Amino acid sequence: MRRTPFDPPDRELKKGSAELLVLSLVEVRARHGYEIGKLIEERSGGALTFSIPSLYPLLYRLEKRGWIRGQWIEKAGQRRRRYYRLTAPGRKVLAAQRSGWRNFVAAINRVAGLDHA
Amino acid sequence: MPSGGWRGELDRRLAARGIAPPRRDEIAAEVAQHLAEDGRAALDPGEAERLARALAGVERRVSLDPPVLGQQRQAFMATLWQDLRYAARAVRLTPAYSAIVIATLALGIGANAAIFSVIDAVMLRPYYPDMDRIVVLNEATRQGDQMSIAWPTFQDWQARSRSFDHLGLYRNTTVNLTGGEQAERLSAAVASSGVFGAAGFQPLLGRAFTADEDGPGAARVAILSERLWRRRFGADPAILGRPIVLSNDVHVVVGVMPAAMRFPSRLTDVWLPLGPLVPTFPPSRGAHPGLYGVAKLKPGIPFEQAAADMDTVARAIEQEHPDTNRDVTVRIARYYDQIVSDIKPTLMMLLGAVGFVLMIGCANLANLTLARTGRRQREVAVRAALGADRRRIVQQLLAESLLLAVIGGTLGLLLASWLVRAFVASGPVVVPRVDLIGVDGRVVAFGALLSIVTGVVFGLVPAFRAASADLLSAIRQSARGATSGAGARRFRAALIVAEVALALVLLVGAGLMIRSFARLMAVETGFDADGVVTMRLSVPPSKYRDLAKWTAFHDDLVTRVAAIPGVAAAGVNSAVPLEGGGSEAGVFVEGRPMVRGKAEAATLFQASTPGYFPAMGIRLVRGRYFTDRDTRGAAPVVIVDDSLVRKVFPGEDPIGRRIAFEFRGGGHGASTESMSAAAVWREIVGVVAHVRHYGIAAEPPYVQLYTPFEQLPTYYEERRPTMALVARTSLSPEALTAAIRRETAALDADIPVYGVQTMTGYLRQSTEQPRLSVFLLGGLGALALVLALIGIYGVVSYSVAERTAEFGVRMALGATSRDVLKMVVGQVSALIGAGLAIGFGASLALGSVMQGLLFQVSPRDPLTMAAIGALLAVVALAAALAPARRATRVDPLVALRAE
Repeated sequence: MRRTPFDPPDRELKKGSAELLVLSLVEVRARHGYEIGKLIEERSGGALTFSIPSLYPLLYRLEKRGWIRGQWIEKAGQRRRRYYRLTAPGRKVLAAQRSGWRNFVAAINRVAGLDHA
Repeated sequence: MPSGGWRGELDRRLAARGIAPPRRDEIAAEVAQHLAEDGRAALDPGEAERLARALAGVERRVSLDPPVLGQQRQAFMATLWQDLRYAARAVRLTPAYSAIVIATLALGIGANAAIFSVIDAVMLRPYYPDMDRIVVLNEATRQGDQMSIAWPTFQDWQARSRSFDHLGLYRNTTVNLTGGEQAERLSAAVASSGVFGAAGFQPLLGRAFTADEDGPGAARVAILSERLWRRRFGADPAILGRPIVLSNDVHVVVGVMPAAMRFPSRLTDVWLPLGPLVPTFPPSRGAHPGLYGVAKLKPGIPFEQAAADMDTVARAIEQEHPDTNRDVTVRIARYYDQIVSDIKPTLMMLLGAVGFVLMIGCANLANLTLARTGRRQREVAVRAALGADRRRIVQQLLAESLLLAVIGGTLGLLLASWLVRAFVASGPVVVPRVDLIGVDGRVVAFGALLSIVTGVVFGLVPAFRAASADLLSAIRQSARGATSGAGARRFRAALIVAEVALALVLLVGAGLMIRSFARLMAVETGFDADGVVTMRLSVPPSKYRDLAKWTAFHDDLVTRVAAIPGVAAAGVNSAVPLEGGGSEAGVFVEGRPMVRGKAEAATLFQASTPGYFPAMGIRLVRGRYFTDRDTRGAAPVVIVDDSLVRKVFPGEDPIGRRIAFEFRGGGHGASTESMSAAAVWREIVGVVAHVRHYGIAAEPPYVQLYTPFEQLPTYYEERRPTMALVARTSLSPEALTAAIRRETAALDADIPVYGVQTMTGYLRQSTEQPRLSVFLLGGLGALALVLALIGIYGVVSYSVAERTAEFGVRMALGATSRDVLKMVVGQVSALIGAGLAIGFGASLALGSVMQGLLFQVSPRDPLTMAAIGALLAVVALAAALAPARRATRVDPLVALRAE
């Protein structure tokens, strides 16, 4: 018997938030994959971790949609790294996701009564 | 582990997941960099596998994902193009779903377009300029008997009617065109100038007839059809003024009419003026010499007003000439109605049937699409919560179904064009204007419109359903596993009911046609059609005025044909079974009281040579066939059919009795004595089986009799019939025709042999319309059954899959798999039952549509209804049973864990 074809919501939410996180990180300057993963882990205090099998498919997806663009760059004395930067469509998406996320969190808070906790 | 080791491993896994080489290198390089930054030596196999799977997932998903975020302000066209591109990708990436949708639509739209192309050519496209103003007229009795128009009556119509711009008179005829290499028989029409005025075409060359040519003293001229002009005269522009020989008279060609001019018939090749024939028209209003009227209404005059006008004219004539015109009125009809009235009910029925098939197809697709969008609903809901535009989501999903509909529609049009070509090539004679049927711009436009409408219909409902899902309900639902809302369940239940109802109506129609056709095929025709070839002999009356010469020609020809190797029997007869036509008269019996106008029976009479009966295979019931001794000088004899015996001699031996159907000298008094004295008495020497003369289904109440050809009825002495030559042979019709043409030419090179037909061909023709209906409706019924089966299977499969958890709970609480099966089957049965009930109701309501199309079967035939209902119920249950059994195999633990 086939299991329901839907993803559980936590995964969906995580995916949605992960996109937002990555887009935010490359908003100001280009960063490479390892750096992005490390920054998410650090800034979330270790609550969010991205292993190789989850990080690179995410970057690939964002790039495929045209929201970020990756480029191999070789700097003197360093190894060759692939840097990702935000594209113009990506900037729009980031703005939309930020406001969407704000609304969503506010809605959840209102419903779940977290405002009063 | 050497670093190359994990890279090779990763590369293999990426390749196995379908990631292309440049991407593989890039990802390996990036991972290598990542590992180096992290100070790790290698990627472990588990990680490599998860990475490959996730990348493949992105590859698949991102292609399908519409960029729903942040692009609201894009120009509509750009969005549309993007939607179409995504839709195209979606179509490619879900081949099974796409194939089912496209095939369903191709069949549905193809069938609809094919039927539409026939309806368009036959019923929608105007045949003539201002066709709604063209009417046809003839005389008729108040009892409804149709008659042609008496010449003096037509002249009164012309003088007194006020509603027509043109009023024309015509008669169908045939002429022999001679003077070329081979004599040729042509369909012709004697036509007054008004006929051309009413039809409204300009001649291609020369002129139409003028009013001067409608009266006596007109020269012998002729107008040719474009077809004849091209075929026989090589489209010679100098044809005008050229003399041609038609039925032994020289005619001067004055015009060529364009191919569009198909009046009185599409076969008409020559038009002759009325004038030269006027002196031959009987001056009596009681004589109806085969003339018919056609007219064009003045602009702005409605049909009803013209009908009232002609009724006034007819009533005045009736009052002025009570002796001939009592109870005689005028029948006026729209020409269009007259052409399409025979075929219209069949076409309408088929249009309804293909519409039903398409609706069933759409129901299937709506369900399929609903199920498919359901799988993406949660994702769409989250996106919507993150700010996606609903309109955009609907548009995207709609683009997908429209794209599929357009592909399906295109294939459907190809299918239709193939079907229509095959149909036209089969040469159906019951369909008017069959040569004009084809898939043209109008049919393509129809197919395109249908594609778009179906695309919207099967795509819109699921699209709105998906788009209207909100995040909170999505979250709520996911807590209980994926079940559809009550709305979706009701929708799917309605789909089952609708499919069953639609399929039932169609199948009942098909079942009735099949039963009717079986009845028709079981009709006793009275002759043995196998191996019988018939053809017509056009013996020009001017050359064979002398009766002895005329008779001798036919006798000689029969003798020669009978001697052709491979011919078992040959004869001539004045009529051909199933073809209709012929002459009728009243039968009187010697020794019984005779009252003028009160015959014992109305009979069809025919003149036959002795060989006709064995050649046609007409069974002898008693007595004998004709022999060579039944000559003109011998005692007059007659062969009657068993229906005459039943009607005129019930319980008596007819052999040796004398009957008459003709009276010498025309006037035969009113008393038994005076009538008996004038009667041409003939002794009955044989009784044969009744022959279906007017077609298989049609059976006017005429009995039948035959006279020897040499003892020709006096009626035929005056107006010689075109005799049919009949041969029973083992030769092919072509070989036989060639041989007979040789024998005919040996006797007289100017006599064309034409109208070659096998009797099996006549049989086929006589049953063509019902055969077509059975074939088409049966095919559509089968298609509907298959589609309904697929549909029910799909709906039940989907809802069973959805309710896995519920079944798991039930079974965990003690329900057996039998209980679960009973529950599912019970629920589906209720829906099927509802569908059957609605379908039966609709079938009964639609019965009157079928009425005219059925032969000896009631449109509410209970046997057909019951059988079809049972068939559909069994098939529908079988379709539901397979997925229902799956419900019983649910492992409660697995089902619950899936929560």
